[in-house]
Amino acid sequence: MSGGPPKALPSTGPQSLRDMPHPLAGSSSEEAVGGDSTPSPDLLTARSFGDKDLILPNGGTPAGTASPASSSSLLNRLQLDDDMDGETRDLFVTVDDPKKHVCTMETYITYRITTKSTRVEFDLPEYSVRRRYQDFDWLRNKLEESQPTHLIPPLPEKFVVKGVVDRFSEEFVETRRKALDKFLKRITDHPVLSFNEHFNVFLTAKDLNAHKKQGMALLTRVGESVKHVAGGYKLRNRPLEFAAIGEYLDTFALKLGTIDRIAQRIIKEEIEYLVELREYGPVYSTWSALEAELAEPLEGVSACIGNCSTALEELTDDMTEDFLPVLREYILYSDSMKSVLKKRDQVQAEYEAKLEAVALRKEERPKVPADVEKCQDRMECFNADLKADMERWQNNKRQDFRQLLMGMADKNIQYYEKCLMAWESIIPLLQEKQEAK
Amino acid sequence: MNFLHMTENNFSLKKIEISVSEAEKRTGRNAMNMQETYTAYLIETRSVEHSDGQSVLTDSLWRRYSEFELLRNYLLVYYPHIVVPPLPEKRAEFVWHKLSADNMDPDFVERRRIGLENFLLRVASHPILCRDKIFYLFLTQEGNWKETVNETGFQLKADSRLKALNATFRVKNPDKRFIELKHYSDELQSVISHLLRVRARVADRLYGVYKVHGNYGRVFSEWSAIEKEMGDGLQSAGHHMDVYASSIDDILEDEEHYADQLKEYLFYAEALRAVCRKHELTQYDLETAAQDLAAKKQQCEELATGTVRTFSLKGMTTKLFGQETPEQREARIKMLEEQIKEGEQQLKSKNLEGREFVKNAWADIERFKEQKNHDLKEALISYAVMQISMCKKGIQVWTNAKECFSKM
Repeated sequence: MSGGPPKALPSTGPQSLRDMPHPLAGSSSEEAVGGDSTPSPDLLTARSFGDKDLILPNGGTPAGTASPASSSSLLNRLQLDDDMDGETRDLFVTVDDPKKHVCTMETYITYRITTKSTRVEFDLPEYSVRRRYQDFDWLRNKLEESQPTHLIPPLPEKFVVKGVVDRFSEEFVETRRKALDKFLKRITDHPVLSFNEHFNVFLTAKDLNAHKKQGMALLTRVGESVKHVAGGYKLRNRPLEFAAIGEYLDTFALKLGTIDRIAQRIIKEEIEYLVELREYGPVYSTWSALEAELAEPLEGVSACIGNCSTALEELTDDMTEDFLPVLREYILYSDSMKSVLKKRDQVQAEYEAKLEAVALRKEERPKVPADVEKCQDRMECFNADLKADMERWQNNKRQDFRQLLMGMADKNIQYYEKCLMAWESIIPLLQEKQEAK
Repeated sequence: MNFLHMTENNFSLKKIEISVSEAEKRTGRNAMNMQETYTAYLIETRSVEHSDGQSVLTDSLWRRYSEFELLRNYLLVYYPHIVVPPLPEKRAEFVWHKLSADNMDPDFVERRRIGLENFLLRVASHPILCRDKIFYLFLTQEGNWKETVNETGFQLKADSRLKALNATFRVKNPDKRFIELKHYSDELQSVISHLLRVRARVADRLYGVYKVHGNYGRVFSEWSAIEKEMGDGLQSAGHHMDVYASSIDDILEDEEHYADQLKEYLFYAEALRAVCRKHELTQYDLETAAQDLAAKKQQCEELATGTVRTFSLKGMTTKLFGQETPEQREARIKMLEEQIKEGEQQLKSKNLEGREFVKNAWADIERFKEQKNHDLKEALISYAVMQISMCKKGIQVWTNAKECFSKM
């Protein structure tokens, strides 16, 4: 490890974001990084050093992509990297290697969390820990508590509701792993959340349970004060821009719900089609047994239909495992955003109520007391955080859906390509002239 | 349309083309003077001039389905050793839900038109059937044709179902090849029926899959309305989903043609069975005649030698009421000897008939087998081609959609 400890990126911690252009806000990313602060030579060196150790670029493995072997999915990933071009990354987190643990009291799965970072906040450049779902749940709760003005990404659902799904089946575990990976990557991408101390502990602590027992230490200033805002304040008017966000999220969730239902319906119809195909193919085999000259052609058609059936089964499996979960997760994601909006409303309501109370006191020299000023601060801070988060949420959403839908198109293309190959290969067999008996 | 050879009353050979070119809905009065609606089909016959290959319309007339049936029934009776081509189905069967089972449905009528044309072409290209006078008149004589057919009295010559069934059960020594053929035709009928039933269900399901995708078109359009940068990509992708959903109609329409080809051979199985039944009848007839002859010979011998080995009523009554005179006995012997001579002649000719039938029938069956293998192979090839086309369309649509998504 050559070189001294690199200079960290300017921290965008709990300060007001008003003064600083959001480094990850859409197309302005390049300007923000290039314009306001010129990266020091040390930083540049450190970054390239970090690159050499890379396995995966941050945020480069969205849950929705097809298997790495497919060239079209490789293209998808490359595309994503191009979009994130202007970014400097100094934190990389991956979730992989699920393992089953059987203990006397319970059986559960743990996942390996690998962290690579050049940040000052991390003592070592690399960490590898094992975590289970309830640890992720703990992290999320802690983040919500300590960063109430920010949108915390959602976790995959805790309990499996539909049907009799095996919690330990390969497919379920893999689906969950992808979602947990996504969850951590979203936090990693976030300029505020990624510096959260709970996040740090989650990534690095050997014994997380010990930390959990330490209780509610280290709440930030803002967190504390916002936490004490109990309900009871009614907001009269949601400012236009936040109302627009709210409406958008409502419609968005509706449309996603519809898409989810359509996708489920398609899978259902495809499965029923598959059932019929599985009866259809073998009938050609039965017929083949009756015939002499036609025996081979008929048997060939039977095998061909069998291949198409297999391809169809792969398609429905992929859609169930990769497409539907990501879709559902976005519905949860937009729900999270809506609840953050509501919290913001609370803060504004409190501020307005206090302001009104002051106005009603009818003092000769109406001066704004300190606590009302603090409220105003809080509100403005919240508004800024939320707007910034919404913008990055929109960006992520755009990329995630592009990936997801392209993936869906890909899977269908692959299905048809497999069927095409099967039918094309049988044509010469059908056209073959039988030798004279 | 095929080029065919035909003779008419041993006139010069003519090359002709036959087509069932139109179908028309008609109303008329039936035998009970009640109004009915039916479809009439236009049959056009063209004679092709050798020299310049130009075809001239020589005959055109309208026939309805029942007249086709009459023609076929006639052929069945007069050519029992031939595997007579089948007619397209009377009522729509093996339909999947989108197709109607209504005989008046334009798609059904269209497919029936093609099936009837196919029937005529099959008959006209058969080396023996194409020379039939009644068939010729069917193509050329509109009025009075029904009366002409009925005048042949073919209905009377037809073997009764009961007689045929009886023969099937009691025949002792049918040709092994016919037993196997009957078995084959039973199995063929069963497997093709099964295939057609499942295919209809497969078509149904496939229809559902494609059509549900149409919903994406609508929801993408609605969603694109609230998006800024994603809007265009979503909207145009939605359009491709609509294209995908509507493509299934043509695909399944084409597949019906394949189903019709299979159906023809399903019905051919019945024609094969008809030939087998005729053989059993002929054979049974022969066996019965041989049995009768043997019995008569036996009787004659007993009378001549005076020994009664077999029971006979005459013998019983003679015992009870007294012997017959020698003259009476002589008379009876003479009669029996006459009958035996006749019987032997008959048996000889029946034997000959039977062997001729087997020979001719088997020749036609071999011809049929060749035709079947060729036709079904062609059908399978065209089915594979249809599937390939469907796959290519699918790849195209989804590639287009993917491109739209990439622009989101």
